[in-house]
Amino acid sequence: MSRIVFDAAAVLTVLFAAVMAVHRHPVKSVLALVVSFFGLAVCYVMLSAPFIAAIQVIVYAGAILVLFLFVLMLLNVPEEARERDAHPIQRVLSGLALVIFAAALLALLNTNGPVRGPSGASAVSFDVAPLARLLFSEYLLPFEALSVLLLAALVGAYVLAQRETGEPR
Amino acid sequence: MIGEIPLSDVLLASGALFLVGLAGTLLRRSAISIFLSIEVMMNAANLALIGYGGALATREGQILVFFVIAIAAAEASVGLAIFVAVFRHKETIDVNKINLLKW
Repeated sequence: MSRIVFDAAAVLTVLFAAVMAVHRHPVKSVLALVVSFFGLAVCYVMLSAPFIAAIQVIVYAGAILVLFLFVLMLLNVPEEARERDAHPIQRVLSGLALVIFAAALLALLNTNGPVRGPSGASAVSFDVAPLARLLFSEYLLPFEALSVLLLAALVGAYVLAQRETGEPR
Repeated sequence: MIGEIPLSDVLLASGALFLVGLAGTLLRRSAISIFLSIEVMMNAANLALIGYGGALATREGQILVFFVIAIAAAEASVGLAIFVAVFRHKETIDVNKINLLKW
């Protein structure tokens, strides 16, 4: 049962990510990505990672993509023009690279057979408390370093996006 | 719950998602779309991490994904600030037109 739900959510995720990748209108492609990330959150719940699913919805779909939307509307980015490429060779080469990468990925997934974890289906339990205990004991230092990183990103974003002095408003 | 979901399913979904992100990164011209595609690739890696974490019955995968998501938030804010700065100078974020450093 949970496998069916996982597969359906995974298909939805990949499908809407593909919609994002081909859509020329930037706002619509962000909205497609929101749906895709919700599907991914369902996948995480099915893999018994409810905390990560919540983070995915709150931080990714809630904060990061809203930031994208905000910037898109601030800049008023136009729809990507359907013009002829100045360098069609780049497009051909990237298509080729894509095919090679897909073949390599498939070969890798096949050579290891159906990849399995250790048998016994020793699933991680569904509750969040052990995760929090791990995060605030063994991984406390990276956790605190993360807060410094976020502060640095905040200051960096402010400095980068502000107007230079003397620039007309 | 992962006992019922084979790891191959998770890895296949992760690989497909990564491929979609890679295609978007290579084929699009708008910098915002490329950035979004990179986010998709990062999420594909997250999915693989969670899958392996579940298969190995450990929580380290989830911890790693937590950190990846937090760093993705920082990266997105700085990247978008760069886009705003570039747009202010060039009036475009088409990556083919931002070619000052190209010889």
